[in-house]
Amino acid sequence: MTDLPRSQHIVASGLVAAIGIAIAWVSFTQEPAQAFVFPRLISSIFAVLAVWTFGKALMGKTKVGNGISAASMRKMLPGLIVAIVYVFWAAKFLGFYTATAIAFFVLLSLYDPAPHTAAKSWIKRIAITAGFMAVMYGLFALLLNVFTPREILF
Amino acid sequence: MKTWIAGAAMALAAMAGMAQADGHGDYPERPVMLMVSYGAGGATDFQARIVTMTAGNEDALGVPIAIVNRPGAGGRVGWNWLASEADADGYTLGAYNVPHFIAQSIEGGVSYSTDSFEPIANWGADPAVFVVGADSEFNSMEDVIAYAKENPGGLTFSGAGLFVGHHIAALQLEKAADVKMAYIPNNAGGAGAMRAVIAGEVMGGVNNLSDAFRAQNAGNVKILGIFDTERSDFLPDVPTMQEQGYDIDNASVNYRGVMVPKGTPQPIIDHLAETVPAMFDNDRVKSRMEAGGSPMRIMSRDEVIEMWAAREETLKELLAGL
Amino acid sequence: MDFLFYMGDVFSPINFGLLMLGTIGGLILGATPGLSPTMAVALLIPFTFQLEPQQGLILLGAAYTSTVAGGAVSAILLKIPGAPANIATTLDGHTMALKGEGAKALQLSFLASAIGGVFGVLLLIFLTPVLAQWALAFGPSHLFWLAILGVTVIGTLDSSSVVKGLLSGCIGLWLATIGFDDIMGAQRFIFHPAVSGGINVIPALIGLFAIPQVITMFTKGRSSDDAEVIGVKKHPIRLAVLEVLKRRTALAIGTITGSVIGLIPGVGGQIAGLVAYDQSRKASRESAKFGTGHSEGVIAAESANNAMVGPSLVPLLTLSIPGSPTAAVLLGGLLIHGIFPGPDLFMNYPQVAWTFIDSMLIGQILMCIFGLYVAGLAASVARVPHGVMAAVVLGLAVFGSYSVQNSMGDVYVMASLGLAMYFLERFGFSAAPLVLGLILGPIAEANFIQGSMIADATIGKTAYFFTGWLNWLLIGIVLASVGYSIWMELMHRRYTTKDDAVAKEEALS
Repeated sequence: MTDLPRSQHIVASGLVAAIGIAIAWVSFTQEPAQAFVFPRLISSIFAVLAVWTFGKALMGKTKVGNGISAASMRKMLPGLIVAIVYVFWAAKFLGFYTATAIAFFVLLSLYDPAPHTAAKSWIKRIAITAGFMAVMYGLFALLLNVFTPREILF
Repeated sequence: MKTWIAGAAMALAAMAGMAQADGHGDYPERPVMLMVSYGAGGATDFQARIVTMTAGNEDALGVPIAIVNRPGAGGRVGWNWLASEADADGYTLGAYNVPHFIAQSIEGGVSYSTDSFEPIANWGADPAVFVVGADSEFNSMEDVIAYAKENPGGLTFSGAGLFVGHHIAALQLEKAADVKMAYIPNNAGGAGAMRAVIAGEVMGGVNNLSDAFRAQNAGNVKILGIFDTERSDFLPDVPTMQEQGYDIDNASVNYRGVMVPKGTPQPIIDHLAETVPAMFDNDRVKSRMEAGGSPMRIMSRDEVIEMWAAREETLKELLAGL
Repeated sequence: MDFLFYMGDVFSPINFGLLMLGTIGGLILGATPGLSPTMAVALLIPFTFQLEPQQGLILLGAAYTSTVAGGAVSAILLKIPGAPANIATTLDGHTMALKGEGAKALQLSFLASAIGGVFGVLLLIFLTPVLAQWALAFGPSHLFWLAILGVTVIGTLDSSSVVKGLLSGCIGLWLATIGFDDIMGAQRFIFHPAVSGGINVIPALIGLFAIPQVITMFTKGRSSDDAEVIGVKKHPIRLAVLEVLKRRTALAIGTITGSVIGLIPGVGGQIAGLVAYDQSRKASRESAKFGTGHSEGVIAAESANNAMVGPSLVPLLTLSIPGSPTAAVLLGGLLIHGIFPGPDLFMNYPQVAWTFIDSMLIGQILMCIFGLYVAGLAASVARVPHGVMAAVVLGLAVFGSYSVQNSMGDVYVMASLGLAMYFLERFGFSAAPLVLGLILGPIAEANFIQGSMIADATIGKTAYFFTGWLNWLLIGIVLASVGYSIWMELMHRRYTTKDDAVAKEEALS
């Protein structure tokens, strides 16, 4: 069990270190140099700190951070997929309000502990979704005049 | 139940189809957005909010105009967005600042030029002025230039950024007086540049006439000259640069107005070009602008097209030497 | 005592009605994610077109006051800081809400806000001329050092590891450089069209704080065996008052730091809360409790960011230069009525000017009363099952970040940063230093470049950045802050084992 977070730490800090080095590389090769003085400074410190952290992880001396357990990964995955599809695709493609209503309802169904077999819990979920959408519409569309994407649906 | 849903879907589809076929006859059907490429509270934002306040009236657009700020990098962020990402459907307008966006497009590194936009109408023209702190030893442009001649590159003066009206004015001054000075662009816009002058961080500054007028009333600065071809009604005592012997025209005057991205349907452009200048020409708008110390200049679409072309030519010449 | 003379005007029926409207509306707008006080006040400006100048300013003054305090509501209950000012509030406030002490956290935050706020406005009333000089004293070199001071706070803020705290800060500083650089206009690190305009702080803030929350709620699954259905504890207001009075040090540090830093144009409002939080942790006898739902954290952060409201208007009212974005919007509100702020504002328009200031004073108190009244009710948000909560927070985050600039790109940035932040947090990085880096990066950079340009034209960089008492003072504080962090780290190491760190981490997540 203790080995799992350690290897995870190596991967995570390795990724951060890779990003740090990549940024430093870009900063030192891009022009005009005058506009990159500050990024060069930051990315150097960034890269050094990231490599240091990576080294610590390799030696198994990382003190903080619990990593991710397989159980919590399994539990979050459905929600994560719904959220990602909602934000990166549905919101723009279906229209904000439609996408939000669908995503909201699906998330409720996935994570609300009320039993799926009882009709009452479905009615409750629909009511909560409708209530939330009404508040969103009132606040953003009516009060603040925000025009959200309304592609194929609303 | 199923037939009911199917019926509703058919009806929706039919409505959508009709709206498509109908074209732009009902424009505008919903609130219009005006993108301002400077932060909330800046001069452009403040004026945009005033001149669009009557948009909801029946004789204007009939729908409200919502201001959306997309500030950053002297306006580049907002105009880049308008040119490359905004929907050209007539519901997305943008505020322009000339000479800013034209100078930036000549300098390069942005994805817009005068060809990326269609002007609608102009609402204001705010000349740049040269200001110094109230306790400064400079009392005329002559003093300033004399100091700059003695200390080449040593006279620091602030402005709102690079390749904006203030910077153009600064370049014109350096060229006309044949001196080298240190122009310090401020990241906090005109207000930040003015603060630098009042706090004595820099020896002088180029700033908007409207802001300088207020700062002078507050006793914080002296205004030494106007970068325009004629004196201003707000400041009848302040001489123009030409009167003081420097050959500087009105290329740096900050014209503000409304434009749309290229590709907006022609009927919509025509509709806007007709209603928007009339909307600016409203007594309530005028009195508010006057109260705020913001000079108005209403120009139609054709006049603006001409003005853009003329500016582009002057600026190309001025910036070629850089 | 002019302000007392005009106090009566605030209580005329129409004015008082507007004051109530501004206060309650401001609390609601402030609690909405994505609406910073600046945007909220800008949205209200058109309403003031129809009003008398005096009435319009009462509305704006009350709204400004209460939006700043309203930001604490979403920070505490949802862990979505509405504006940079509320970041520090999430650190202890939200932890308290998780423990069922949401009502207490809200009460403390409103009381501390009101005390800090009243102090700030009183400073504005009595010390304006002195403060105006202070606001002008900060040139590019000083602002640069101030930003560096903020950076040194990064390492110790809400993280059990100084190295990872600094690394989080570096990530934030780097994120801030994406997009066009503010002075030269050069493009940097634009790897996707969504970031071509740079990373906007408000969507980033929402993503970095709210999305990890949402994912954590997902990980709890659909289990109904939730033993941790939070019982919201009732908390009598009397106890909250006593608690605030007991935490005098935190209150004093928060109020004073807030009003002094809030005055500095361009920097103040954003970091006042965080600096006050950090300072009061260093001064506290119970510094280990900070971050685990400690009342001092909430009190220091909230008293600081409301104390800043009054002083932040000093440069505007006396010198006619707006010192903060919100002040710039208020300037617009004055100008449309033909009122030019400046030294003679109080002579030319005493009625308008004093009523405006009085409305902020009364607004603070009204805000507090109203806030205390709804605190118990609002805290029951914590009883909402996490399945519903995850969906609500996600929806609010998407709408909130979209509405800042009507931009889908901001929503993508919000979600991507949030997703990345969840995984980073699992490995010991934290969001607060990252955001601080994001905020301070542009300030440090722009002032460094401006300072260098002035220095090159005049006295040279070394003399410009390293001489003058204010530079020395700031450098001194920076060194002291760094020294303290190193000392604490060494002390810490001696008796902290890996298990302790893990235990603390568990308590936090």
